[in-house]
Amino acid sequence: MESICSSMEKLFPCREAAIGILGELIGDSKEAYPSAIYLFGHSGTGKTALTRAFLKECGRKQNVRTAHLNAIECYTTKIMLEILLDSLAPGQGDALKADNMLDFVEQLHQWHGAPGAESQGFLIAVDNAERLRDMDANVLPVLLRLQQLTSLNLCVILLSQLPFEKFYNKTGLSEVISLHLAQYNKAETQRILGSDFAQVRSQLLEQFAQDTKRLEICQEAVTEEFYNNYLNLFLSVFYKACRDVPELQLTARKCLSIYLEPVLDGTVEATDISRLWRHIAGPLRSALTQIYMRIEKPPEETEDFAAIEDQSVRKLAQSLELPYYAKFLLIAAFLASHNAANQDKRLFVKHHGKQRKRMQMVNARAKTTEKMSTTLGPKSFSIDRLLAIFYAILEEKVGLTCNLLSQISTLVHLKLLSFVSGEQNIMDGSARLQCTIGLEFVMQIGKVVGFNVRQYLCDFM
Amino acid sequence: SRLAEGTPRRSIHLSNIVEQRVFKEDEVISTPKRGRPSKKTIQDSDEDYSPKKSVQKTPTRPRRSSTTTKPAATPSKGIATTTAAPMTPSQKMKKIRAGELSPSMQQRTDRPAKDASKSELQLAREQLHVSVVPKSLPCREREFENIYAFLEGKIQDQCGGCMYVSGVPGTGKTATVTGVIRTLQRMANQNELPTFEFLEINGMRLTEPRQAYVQIYKQLTGKTVSWEQAHSLLEKRFTTPAPRRVTTVLLVDELDILCNRRQDVVYNLLDWPTKSAAKLVVVTIANTMDLPERLLMGKVTSRLGLTRLTYQPYSHKQLQEIVTARLGGSEAFKGEAVQLVARKVAAVSGDARRALDICRRATEIADTALVKCVTMLHVQQALAEMIASAKVQAIKNCSRLEQIFLQAVAAEVTRTGVEETTFMGVYLQVETIAAFMGVTTPPPGRALRVCAKLGAERLIISEHSRNDLFQKILLNVSADDIHYALRVGDVAN
Repeated sequence: MESICSSMEKLFPCREAAIGILGELIGDSKEAYPSAIYLFGHSGTGKTALTRAFLKECGRKQNVRTAHLNAIECYTTKIMLEILLDSLAPGQGDALKADNMLDFVEQLHQWHGAPGAESQGFLIAVDNAERLRDMDANVLPVLLRLQQLTSLNLCVILLSQLPFEKFYNKTGLSEVISLHLAQYNKAETQRILGSDFAQVRSQLLEQFAQDTKRLEICQEAVTEEFYNNYLNLFLSVFYKACRDVPELQLTARKCLSIYLEPVLDGTVEATDISRLWRHIAGPLRSALTQIYMRIEKPPEETEDFAAIEDQSVRKLAQSLELPYYAKFLLIAAFLASHNAANQDKRLFVKHHGKQRKRMQMVNARAKTTEKMSTTLGPKSFSIDRLLAIFYAILEEKVGLTCNLLSQISTLVHLKLLSFVSGEQNIMDGSARLQCTIGLEFVMQIGKVVGFNVRQYLCDFM
Repeated sequence: SRLAEGTPRRSIHLSNIVEQRVFKEDEVISTPKRGRPSKKTIQDSDEDYSPKKSVQKTPTRPRRSSTTTKPAATPSKGIATTTAAPMTPSQKMKKIRAGELSPSMQQRTDRPAKDASKSELQLAREQLHVSVVPKSLPCREREFENIYAFLEGKIQDQCGGCMYVSGVPGTGKTATVTGVIRTLQRMANQNELPTFEFLEINGMRLTEPRQAYVQIYKQLTGKTVSWEQAHSLLEKRFTTPAPRRVTTVLLVDELDILCNRRQDVVYNLLDWPTKSAAKLVVVTIANTMDLPERLLMGKVTSRLGLTRLTYQPYSHKQLQEIVTARLGGSEAFKGEAVQLVARKVAAVSGDARRALDICRRATEIADTALVKCVTMLHVQQALAEMIASAKVQAIKNCSRLEQIFLQAVAAEVTRTGVEETTFMGVYLQVETIAAFMGVTTPPPGRALRVCAKLGAERLIISEHSRNDLFQKILLNVSADDIHYALRVGDVAN
């Protein structure tokens, strides 16, 4: 047990307590395992990696057979059982077969009492265990008491992001030992990010192998302290938004080269942190808006990140090549979604007569001002209304051809519109659609075709 | 005579053998022996049948020996001469399907105890067992007469017909009908009545209504075939007239299980008696009195006819009589003890099985008390065990937190007025009650666990805990039970 824990602690810094508990529970295969362990924590806290390494270590140093599986893969119970059997009983090949839970338990039970089975342990880890709740109703209860059913020294480890109180079913579950992996605090995160210093340094040196001048500066400047200073600056920006260690690691690697640039050019001293900070602050903030997006782009290009959000929508709207009428249909759909149907007469009918203002309406308006329909989300509309608005805003009278109608269905296919109800009876007019694009997007399309969308939106009147 | 059935010749051969073999010693309920070939011809047919089988087998043998191991395939040669030789599983299945192997059970290694060594209480207990059906059922003489007259008339007249028998469970329906059949069979054996065949199916023993055909055909010939085949063979048998066709009495138990949406099986079973060639008498048994009107189609109800018989639940006097008849002359029971059982059971259901079970439990209690005679106290204890609800005990034995949770559910029901509460409201009540009692409030996760535990014990009805705060909770015990259990417990403490 001690040897396993000590070798694990090198791999997983700041997880000494969790490794210690795991070691106490399932460290020694000669002792009886608990029947089930439930390990939970946020994403990126190292549940999967820790268990996988622990199981591997156990399998190497002790007489333990292990199985690690992901519950998402198991869309039927049979797949799960066969994966488990396959990894618990190696070398069975094609002869392996488990049709149902009973078969599986029977086969495991047969190993009980086999020669040399006294000190044999079995460890099963199930990743994404929240999926077990959606499988057949007997899967989770049986897994939790598999030790009792098979009379083997066996432990089932469930990994999930949820606490266990989300798992209780209507018929009751047996006892389980819960173990929480808390998120790392700032110091721990910095320690973990800084633990790969040697690797980063060697990588940098390799990168500048040709350029001797830069190599010299790099060798001199990139020290442990320098790297830690960088990480400190990095975390001061990022830690508020994201504590997911893998994500932080990726972004930190990306931004390091920008941070290093002035040092290598010789414009800034490696010890002058405040100047380095001024230099890096902009790129870090722009990288913060890009977190979780995993866009493989060199960070230099995205330096002017302030308008990137706007740009991407504009780019998308311009790059989306739609026919002229389809663009108008899309605009009409947006107007139909975001204007109330009782405003249609006022907005689109030319000579609609004078509108009376009543006190009641004025009051009602005043109340609903904060509820802009563009922020409340789209309402549904019928195809008739869509076509009516389309003809009202188009101003040139085109025939209602099948091309025009097929463009509506194409827009649905492209997921720019979507069906809310009545997908079966489109032709009889009871189907209702919804527009799924945003205001920015439709404004861009309007700009392309020369149509002011804002003018027709009730919200902006 | 069997030719009329229209089955292939070989299977007729086979079926004769099967009946001789399988039903040889079955004297109580089976088809009576008819003009069968003598023992010697059976032997002949047996001998000429077995080589035929082996001849038919030969082409398959090379394939099998190539796929399976050698020792399994080699004994198949021995099959031809002796059936005792080991068989491959498929041979065994074939024999089972042909009805040539009768299903037997493992025998116990030690002998059962002798009657002489048993005490009087033990003898009474054996007599009181539900499975020991008496030769003549007490308190069912009128029904016996009724069914007997009907069946005897139908057999004498050589025509077909239907009867519908209904009544709540445990009122002696099946016991009377099989009793009548047994009497009729005895009479037929003494040549006081034309012979008849008796078939019996039970809807609850079938996985599917259409399996009824398979069972009926199996009781006629002993072979297991697919339901389509069985249906067409039965159709042929019942629709084509054949000389010297004997009357067939078919008992259909649990008729309501055979009713599916199409009702084709029920229709066929009730339509065959209307054919003049069939000579089929169908007696159907079910629990509900108005089943034909409620569930069956018009044409099926019409064929079921109006010959009906309803079994009333036993009154307490009848139950008393039944138990006393079971006990015979034994002194194991006090008179008033039997009366107490009869009165308690008759007030609830009038189920004879329940009365007998309670009496048996009372003898067991008396046995552990080392008394020779069952008194009122033992019966009262048995009644408390078998009738009384355990909910109050369950609430009393709940943990403190679970009791608080139950109280909170009841309080929330009283507060909102509706039966269905959400976990959030209940948790607020738990906080209030816990603060009032001065104990620490459990965190919601723990309260969910308590909720799930109570839900598994069915004290409350809850949903899966994945929709935690918004799961709906119903109280499965009455609110009075909770107050009673917790208040009386407090006083006792």
